Amino acid sequence: MIAPKQLVRSIALLTTIATFVLSLWLIGPFLGAGSADAAGMIDIFGSSYGEKLHFVQRADWITSKNFTIEYFVGVDGLNMPLMVLTSFVGLLACLASWNFESWKVNKGIKGYFALFLLLETGMLGTFVALDFFLFYIFWEIMLLPMYFLIGVWGGARKEYAAIKFFLFTLAGSVLMLVGLVAMFFYSSEAVTRYASLATSYRPDVGVLTTGTFDLIELATNQAIQTYFNATDTYFLAKGLQFAPLMFMFLFVGFAVKLPAFPVHTWLPDAHVEAPTPISMILAGVLLKMGGYGFLRLCYPIFPAGGHHWAYCLACIGVISILYGALCAMAQTDFKKLVAYSSISHMGYVLLGVAVMTDAGVQGAMFQMIAHGISSPMCFFLVGVIYDRAHHREINRFGGLWLSMPKYGTMATIGFFASLGLPGMCGFIGELWVLLGVFAARDTFTWAVPMAILAASGVILTAGYILWLIQRVYLGPSKPEHAKFPEVTGREMLILVPLAALCVLFGILPKHLLFDFTNGTLDLIVKTMAAAPERFGSLAAGL
Amino acid sequence: MSNYETYLLAGVAVPFVSFFILMLFGPRIGKPLSGWLAVAAMATCCVLGTLTLVGWLGEVDSGTAAELTAAAGESQFHWADIGSVPIKVGVNLDSLTVIMFFMVTFIATWIFVFSIGYMAGHSDEVDGKSKYHRFFCYLSLFGFSMLGLVISSNLLFLFIFWELVGLCSYLLIGFYFDKKFASNAAMKAFITNRVGDFGFIFGLMMVYFFLGTLDLDGAAAAFADQYASGTGLFDPSFTINVLGWHVSGPMMATLMGIGLFCGAMGKSAQFPLQVWLPDAMAGPTPVSALIHAATMVAAGVYLVARVYRLLTPDAQLFIAGVGCITLTAMALIAIVQTDIKKCLAYSTLSQLGYMIFGLGMGAWIAALFHLMTHAFFKAMMFLGSGQVIEGCHHEQDMRKMGGLIRKMPVTGVTFLIGVLAIAGFGIPSMNLGLGGYFSKDEILAVAWDRAGIGGEGHHSDQDGHHAAASGATAFDLVSDSHEAHNGDDRVAGHALATDDADHAGVLKLMFWCALITAYVTPFYMMRCWWLTFMGKPRDQQVHDHAHESPMMYVPLVVLAIFTVVSSYALFRPLIADAAPALTDAVLVTAYDGHADDANHAKGALINLHGAHDWLFWGVGWSWAIMFLVAIVIYRNGVGLGSKLKSAFSPIATLLEKKYYFDEIYDFMFVRGCRLLASISAFWDTYVVDGIIASLTSKATERFSAFAGRGVDANIVDGVFNGMAVTAFDLSNLFRSPHTGRIRNYVLFTAGAAAVAILLLLFFDPVPDAQAILTSAGG
Repeated sequence: MIAPKQLVRSIALLTTIATFVLSLWLIGPFLGAGSADAAGMIDIFGSSYGEKLHFVQRADWITSKNFTIEYFVGVDGLNMPLMVLTSFVGLLACLASWNFESWKVNKGIKGYFALFLLLETGMLGTFVALDFFLFYIFWEIMLLPMYFLIGVWGGARKEYAAIKFFLFTLAGSVLMLVGLVAMFFYSSEAVTRYASLATSYRPDVGVLTTGTFDLIELATNQAIQTYFNATDTYFLAKGLQFAPLMFMFLFVGFAVKLPAFPVHTWLPDAHVEAPTPISMILAGVLLKMGGYGFLRLCYPIFPAGGHHWAYCLACIGVISILYGALCAMAQTDFKKLVAYSSISHMGYVLLGVAVMTDAGVQGAMFQMIAHGISSPMCFFLVGVIYDRAHHREINRFGGLWLSMPKYGTMATIGFFASLGLPGMCGFIGELWVLLGVFAARDTFTWAVPMAILAASGVILTAGYILWLIQRVYLGPSKPEHAKFPEVTGREMLILVPLAALCVLFGILPKHLLFDFTNGTLDLIVKTMAAAPERFGSLAAGL
Repeated sequence: MSNYETYLLAGVAVPFVSFFILMLFGPRIGKPLSGWLAVAAMATCCVLGTLTLVGWLGEVDSGTAAELTAAAGESQFHWADIGSVPIKVGVNLDSLTVIMFFMVTFIATWIFVFSIGYMAGHSDEVDGKSKYHRFFCYLSLFGFSMLGLVISSNLLFLFIFWELVGLCSYLLIGFYFDKKFASNAAMKAFITNRVGDFGFIFGLMMVYFFLGTLDLDGAAAAFADQYASGTGLFDPSFTINVLGWHVSGPMMATLMGIGLFCGAMGKSAQFPLQVWLPDAMAGPTPVSALIHAATMVAAGVYLVARVYRLLTPDAQLFIAGVGCITLTAMALIAIVQTDIKKCLAYSTLSQLGYMIFGLGMGAWIAALFHLMTHAFFKAMMFLGSGQVIEGCHHEQDMRKMGGLIRKMPVTGVTFLIGVLAIAGFGIPSMNLGLGGYFSKDEILAVAWDRAGIGGEGHHSDQDGHHAAASGATAFDLVSDSHEAHNGDDRVAGHALATDDADHAGVLKLMFWCALITAYVTPFYMMRCWWLTFMGKPRDQQVHDHAHESPMMYVPLVVLAIFTVVSSYALFRPLIADAAPALTDAVLVTAYDGHADDANHAKGALINLHGAHDWLFWGVGWSWAIMFLVAIVIYRNGVGLGSKLKSAFSPIATLLEKKYYFDEIYDFMFVRGCRLLASISAFWDTYVVDGIIASLTSKATERFSAFAGRGVDANIVDGVFNGMAVTAFDLSNLFRSPHTGRIRNYVLFTAGAAAVAILLLLFFDPVPDAQAILTSAGG
């Protein structure tokens, strides 16, 4: 409240730069992992999921006789890339907010940047938190600034969009809260019932005797795993098996964020109304929370639940891919088209995770990062032209490549990356996921048809993206676009790194991502794969 | 790493550097210079390609080539892991790579030079703005991608470069993107190719899963190994359940081959994905010459040649069928074309059909040989047409040309050489001929042999050690594969061989189609040449302005020389050298996979047909007969041609409409897809969102009204007001049961207690709640 207005955005920028630089620090311990072979990688990440986490900080936060809520954060191959992505997109989004003064709603610059930074805190916190309670707190912290950022600085129907976003996410997190409480009580029961199995992964704890919110403990403690995934553990009523139900409770919350069909409808509205930088964050980072949640909570803790719902989730994934692409094809609003394409692309994440094969999970992880690079770029490209034209009607554009050659080139790179052109980031994730689906053909009768349907998504994607490019960028230049200034230096500063990463991630997927993530992902996949054997008929109920 | 790999890798890198420089600094480098930069880069590649070629010829002679090939296979870059299978990529160093590399760099260099001449006028302008540097930028990117495609040792990398050449094709077809037809054509090309790639991806998947690697040689080795040992795909108990449909191993192998071939169908524009190539002529003519005639469209043929060892007889038959339909149907369309470029485009389609057909029939060497000869003469003819179009101020209609030979002698003569080459000009028994006379007729000869016309197939003494399985269908193999791995591979192979008799009818039909088309080709090519260069000028204005420039005819002359050279020396021997290793297939045979008769193509043909001269003579003179017919009909311009056309009007219309493929596809896929999209969007807005909205609408409305008012005015006030309102509402809600009547309170309390106890007793929401309850009660 003391800082003068012109200083506000500088402080915000410095903060995001500092955050980004610091987040690069996280990569350190993961370097060199790729030079070792697969066995060596596991060595680095610990022989069980969660062992040898890096940058661990633990402190008791809320303690009581029966429970301890910890401030417990740490970094492994799963959240490290997402944290770097978050701070990176945060930095670019801050740059994209630089022209705040020229926005339609340009009041309250302090509030805007304060909420912006609060949002970044929430996002980073969600990714780094390893205590469920802490995770939940950060998850909710993120919700509020987003609500206001859309609701105050958004477009014409901002209130509607903001409240829709808020209610959808809230509905999801209510279920998560039920899960949070239930999991605590059930873990408490588990360690009593199976005391002999309750050895904690933490040497200083020894045998676990109380319930826990520790996500790593929940996923690795044999007592908890055995009780959670048992066929005769019920919740609320006989017949409501614990693992499938809890899995679903958590899943719904994450599916809303992803977003998966049919709980995706908040996304197009939120994107259309949100200011450009917020769209970048929304698409680049917030959607990844869904995929991250699957891999951090749903599957490691309830592998049997994952098997139980596998068909259902894979179907939702395929539907999201095709349905998102078809809806995108019919849009006439530039931003809405990109929003629907996000739904389609994130469908691959769900599909890859749902089939629980190593290639599928690797692909899902890659797709999250790839989409985290390409979609902010696409949304920024929309923002650039919206700043000039003040509308987003695809059919009113045309010839922009002639009016703004640099912009046209950048747009081509961004949209081709989104299209999944081999050699660019979008391709790797899709291919890995498709291979992963195909690899599941022994357990899924439907694997091959699903792979065929999902793969036909690449044709639809090519269709709507090329049609978009044709309508917006190609064609003769229009007189009304002649006065549009070419992209500015600031805009290039945002577009060029994104474009470079779009290409680099497509060329060097192993060295830029898989080397860091595969160790952790392998362990998660192994947990999933072992479930049918360990937990019997529940997981085998395919 | 041997020198050759270094040369090849450097050759791939140089155009990329050129692309990068032009992308960043193109506008500053300016008009002629950026073109020369691209030329210099490509020329450097060509020098590297030539060095490799010369050195490699020495290695082949001294017999050390095989070691180098093996050594190149050892040094690979670990690119990524799919699941836990490593994907490694390296240089595929063999004779086929070397010769393809040389061909691409050589032709590309001269086409780049031509482009400088072509773009010197106003051809570089898009909507009045010069996009000169961008043109050469894309061309450089194409050079990079195409060369990468050629040298990749890994199917996945081949696919990646495959898509990149597709991207370049998209960008270059749409170079004049201010024109709607150009951007439409570009889109059509890319999407049609995506349809093919959809199949390609499935082929890749199957290779990856059933053969455990995406390395070309590794996959072939695994395939042969599985066949020999009766494991994997050839395990009799292998089955994949696809929705209750059990797919056997050999069936899967066939699907794998067809899947990979789908990619080739897209890129090489084979039926039914041929629709994009004629439209692709919307791009600048040098692009048509380089990408849509000589190199990229041949990539499909190259792919099939590379995965030849993975094919099954059924897959091969499928390939032959597709090739046969393409070569026949497209040649017929070429007859009615009036646009000089379209005419050449359809002839390209037909010739690509020949190559694919050749591979399908087992003429591996002949098909690739035809790829080479065709690359030179077709590139030359396209450049010739470019010269004509540029010289006539962008007139492409042959009906308005005529008599241009006087104005453009060099173009006319070189074009004629191309016409002779594609028509299969040659003097039988004198070993004198051009291009197609050797390569195309060799395909026909093999097809003839395979079809078994004139008695028992002649190939048994020709095809070396893998004759046997050629005609066996995948299904036969299921029952016989046990035996196959028990003893001598070869003997077992013979044991399970069924002759081509199973498909005798189809094979014969395909042969006759190909043969008849060999008569159609000279006709439409001579028609094209005659209408353009001979006779009286039909449009005086066009004729008056016609001219040719040295920048453009020098490449024509060079390519003309190479059209002649490629027919005789260099190309076929090297392909033949690559053949034994690349056609060492367990299930299919290359009927001409011999290095012995490498040096004299026609000699090989004669050997193959020693006893069946009638075919040899029959095809050998086709060019002369059909040239004559064409000249008779078109000697006085289009008059007689039009009369003939109206006489056969239904057929002519069918051909002019290209069998209505565009209309059918437009209706089925484009409109269908858009309709589906509209339905989806409607559904999303009114049903999915509608349901959810109506469920939550009350809450949303109230909340948003409050939030909107409050937040807009002042956040803090809003929040407080909101809280007050909510508190007020809530207190109202809670006030309502507080009636002040004791009996109500008692009722509520009792009811709540009852519900709580019932919940705890029956639903056990908290573990051991009952125990807690009991102990509390106790």
